[in-house]
Amino acid sequence: MTTASSDLLLMLLSDARLPVAGHTQSAGLEPALREGLTDVPAYLRLRLRTVTRVEAGTAVVAMHHVRAGRPLGPVEAAWAARTPSPAMRTTSHQLARGLLRLAGALWPLADLAAPSSRPVVLGAVGAAVGLSPPSLARLVGYDDVQTVSAAALKLTPLNPAQTTRWVLDALPQIDLLAAEVAVLTAPDEIPASSAPQIEQWAERHAVATRRLFSA
Amino acid sequence: MPDPDAPTRRPLRLGVCGPVGTGKSSLIALLCRELAPDLEIGVVTNDIYTDEDARFLRSAGVLDPARIVAVETGACPHTAIRDDITANLMAVEDLEAAHAPLDLVLIESGGDNLTATFSPALVDVQIFLLDVAGGGDVARKGGPGIERADLLVVNKTDLAPYVGVDAVLMTADARSARSGGPVIALSRSDPGSIAELTGWVLGRLAAYEAGDLVPQDPGPMAPHWHASTAEHRHDSVEQPAR
Repeated sequence: MTTASSDLLLMLLSDARLPVAGHTQSAGLEPALREGLTDVPAYLRLRLRTVTRVEAGTAVVAMHHVRAGRPLGPVEAAWAARTPSPAMRTTSHQLARGLLRLAGALWPLADLAAPSSRPVVLGAVGAAVGLSPPSLARLVGYDDVQTVSAAALKLTPLNPAQTTRWVLDALPQIDLLAAEVAVLTAPDEIPASSAPQIEQWAERHAVATRRLFSA
Repeated sequence: MPDPDAPTRRPLRLGVCGPVGTGKSSLIALLCRELAPDLEIGVVTNDIYTDEDARFLRSAGVLDPARIVAVETGACPHTAIRDDITANLMAVEDLEAAHAPLDLVLIESGGDNLTATFSPALVDVQIFLLDVAGGGDVARKGGPGIERADLLVVNKTDLAPYVGVDAVLMTADARSARSGGPVIALSRSDPGSIAELTGWVLGRLAAYEAGDLVPQDPGPMAPHWHASTAEHRHDSVEQPAR
């Protein structure tokens, strides 16, 4: 059997049509808008500097650990320590389940504890399909930016060309993030850049009624 | 003691879909009220705004509130039951695990248009719901759910005189659109129609438990006819005879 190019595998994993419940997510945008946020591109940049940086770093280190045959427990613990919001950890565990349900049916994956976080499962998937560390980090960053932008179209009156412009403008920052975290190999090296305001919004959203998005 | 060698059995998963306002939540409340004395039931709702339907059902008092869970669909109710069923499957499995053993799980779609049907990977059997107040001609217009769901329910027949619809004609249109597939004209004030509905559900449950139920997909495309009476196949690469 011939193998697909890593370009195509990366496209497959980043496609919104991948059935992993992505349509249920706003990456925190729904509570942010409800609490008065108006500058969505600034929100995108903030996430890339904080919570998404943690996710990308965790995914890269998890992939390295799978490839090196090292245990994933310390990676999971490092991620949890850098994700202080219980609501955000629960969301990540749920998304990880959905991803694992699909990816486990497609590729042989490393043994994973339950619950696992989404970036750790992404690291295992990246190892299974042969992604490079920068590609995996770009996947995490790109997915976050697209999730916010797609949700913005559902939550506020916007021209889709406008949100696509936001994504385009965020791409260089995703590349910088990928370059920064791609070299990481140890759990201690994962950035600890939390965003207390985003975490507080996530906590409030978890108990809100009349939600459009799960998180 | 349960037999450790017995095959693991999950409950029958029954989907209820149909346009907004046709009475999906009320139908589910009705089924719970009628069947809960004899069956262990769980409910998953897919409301646009998360938990309106779940709250309605909890407040109806027909089921332990913990057995009614809501799934957020991100304003994509069609996607959540058809092309990305991940969130619903996880909710159903969690419900089944938390309240095992259940006999029946009811999954209510978010109110959608006439084209939405459940993936057979999510439900074993599905009911499509219309109501007389939505217009007497809807059944005749057809669509995958109307024509090929396992059961079509024409709801609120007691309202027909008030909305200028001939319920008998609408039901006949529905039977004709379904080539004889089952149709129930339902009114919550007509005990006979309620018995017909619960009888159908119990019949499907018995078939499922006997291993005789194979999920049928109503499919995405309405059937179509060609002017020619000659047979043709869409999967054939041969050119039709001229």
